[in-house]
Amino acid sequence: MGIHLLYIEDDAEIGTWVNEDLSGRGYEVTWLQSGEHAVEKAATSRLVILDVMLPGLDGFTVGQRLKKAYPDLPILMLSARTSIDDKLEGLQFADDYLTKPFHPDELAARIEVLLRRSGSFSSEPLVLKHLLVYERENRIVNNDTSEEILLTGKQFQIFTYLIRHLGQILTKEQIYEGVWGDPYLDGDKTLMVHIRYLREKLERDPANPEIVETIRGVGYRVKA
Amino acid sequence: MRKEKLFKSRFRGTLLSRYLLIILFALLFIPVIFPASLVGYQLVQGLVFGNVFTKPQVEDERYQTLNLEKMWHKEAKALKGKTPEQIDAKISELNADYPKVDMFWVDADSRVRKPENSRLDLPSTWSTADAISYMKHYRESTEQFSVIAFIGDDEKLNEGFMVLQASRSALTPSSNDFSARESMIFFGIILLMFVLFIAVSWMFFVNMRRRLLRLQSAMTVQNDSGLPEPIVVKKTDEIGQLEDAFNGMVHQLSSSLKREREEEELRKRLIANLSHDLRTPLTVVRSHVFSLQKEQLSDKGRELLKLTETKLGDLSGLIDNLLSYNLLTSGKYTLHPESKDVLRIVRESAAAWYPLWEKEGFEVDIDLPEEPLFWSVDAQWFRRILDNLFQNVVRHAHSGQYIGIHAGAGAEGQTAIVISDKGKGMQASSGDKGAGIGLAIVGFLTREMGLIMDISSTSGGTSILIYPASDSEPGLKLKDRV
Repeated sequence: MGIHLLYIEDDAEIGTWVNEDLSGRGYEVTWLQSGEHAVEKAATSRLVILDVMLPGLDGFTVGQRLKKAYPDLPILMLSARTSIDDKLEGLQFADDYLTKPFHPDELAARIEVLLRRSGSFSSEPLVLKHLLVYERENRIVNNDTSEEILLTGKQFQIFTYLIRHLGQILTKEQIYEGVWGDPYLDGDKTLMVHIRYLREKLERDPANPEIVETIRGVGYRVKA
Repeated sequence: MRKEKLFKSRFRGTLLSRYLLIILFALLFIPVIFPASLVGYQLVQGLVFGNVFTKPQVEDERYQTLNLEKMWHKEAKALKGKTPEQIDAKISELNADYPKVDMFWVDADSRVRKPENSRLDLPSTWSTADAISYMKHYRESTEQFSVIAFIGDDEKLNEGFMVLQASRSALTPSSNDFSARESMIFFGIILLMFVLFIAVSWMFFVNMRRRLLRLQSAMTVQNDSGLPEPIVVKKTDEIGQLEDAFNGMVHQLSSSLKREREEEELRKRLIANLSHDLRTPLTVVRSHVFSLQKEQLSDKGRELLKLTETKLGDLSGLIDNLLSYNLLTSGKYTLHPESKDVLRIVRESAAAWYPLWEKEGFEVDIDLPEEPLFWSVDAQWFRRILDNLFQNVVRHAHSGQYIGIHAGAGAEGQTAIVISDKGKGMQASSGDKGAGIGLAIVGFLTREMGLIMDISSTSGGTSILIYPASDSEPGLKLKDRV
């Protein structure tokens, strides 16, 4: 049984295509052509993909109702509209936003990130080079030595934050503000110190990190 | 009649009428205020010294020399044919009535007869020489007053004569004292009137000034929507009418602002719908292209599909830019510049583009300072500038396989953001048109945000500098060799 996704799209051609593509990727998709019964159907879903332009109730209204009923349910907005105001309006309740026409790989990647962020982990461990990350159990095992790696609170928080944005490059400011919850002060070396210790525990060769990648001039990334 | 009424109501309560009232007050100062102040003096005296109008005045009138003279002659006439005893009694009675004066009489035998309590020191008989000496003394004296009347008021009767005498100072109060006190109070009142006049004029202008200042501050203070607030009109005079007109103007401004916002909203919705209508079929076409890619195809077919996909992406970007450009240049979309760390925006934007550069095999060279760089920009649109520039590098400078993002120095030494590539330059055709509208948007946005963008392009690469304008005209600047 794959993860259950609710997909709301009025255009039959696009709907068929996305439905087939996502089903092909192992998700169990419920496709609705209007927002009428979205709230009932969303009860068993782990994520909602929502088109903005819908007949009857528009996507924003449906999204707001869904968020009210299930505050923790991630919503990915899909739109052919590009007006900036749309983005702002949508993002008040939506967790991410994708503009048409989109690449199916990009949609799949966004879904994966959103599911990871909302804590919908699979029971299978995440394989990162020589590491096995059991997200449900908050456990990291070094596959080379079969030993468990123990991280301090902040190291674990930073690593989790990076994994939840797997494949995304995060700037220092984003990581700091995401983990500490305070605005980043320029010149603060705290994050770099924590990342150095994190690498010493995770990397085979901390001088040439493979897990927590440095993107020079931009930030850090953990890639699957 | 109605016109007159209208004029009256228009005139009443105006600044002009009030000013004229003050002027009138000033003009009436001499003919009205001076006499009025005299009356005021008497009133004050009455209040301060009391009994001005009652007994003392009656007494004053009785003791007035003219009245005394009249009375004396009248009494003398009444004594015609009376016996000396009767005359004595009458004189005594009169003296009792007029205690401030002295009285005596001389009978037909030249004997001097005076009331019993008389203070006068007189000879017992009155010779002709005595009479002449007495008259000379009293007539020449300015301090003494006397009236002489023949009994029966007729010399021919030869019944004698009666004399009334008094010192003038006893009859009326000291004229010197009177004028000194009076003039002090009189000038005091004049001074008071002057002070009052100045105070009234001063208050008139201060009040006018205060109301004008209130109006001025109401014009400069703006509320959340950038409009001045209407003010409360308390009076209907000229300034009141000005305030009314100001409120009317504020009202018009706010309604036109509302209309403008509605138009902006309508236009945005139209463009959003247009975008939707164009993109939906594009998405459908793209979905078919993806489906086709999964089919068994010849190499040529695969190549054509790849080209179709790229063109679809370009078309989508073009629609986006075209609609944004329309929205921006119509003046229906306002920028909201705030002080932002632009380096942070550049890093975040680069982070989003990084996977694509990586996928396309670009060498990415990013070296930005750690310290934040604050510019006044609209973050959303600043991202759009970067997106357009990064996209141009991917599309038109693909051959260089390089993107550099650095800090540099602008024309006047300001810190600038430099985006460089190693493509064939803007002159060379990349075989992929469509940079025009993207650059037009960038040019428009930089100008609107007060930024300067210098572009220098050679066949060895293009370098774009963005920095805040100091005083020169902001916007897009294409340097030579472009």
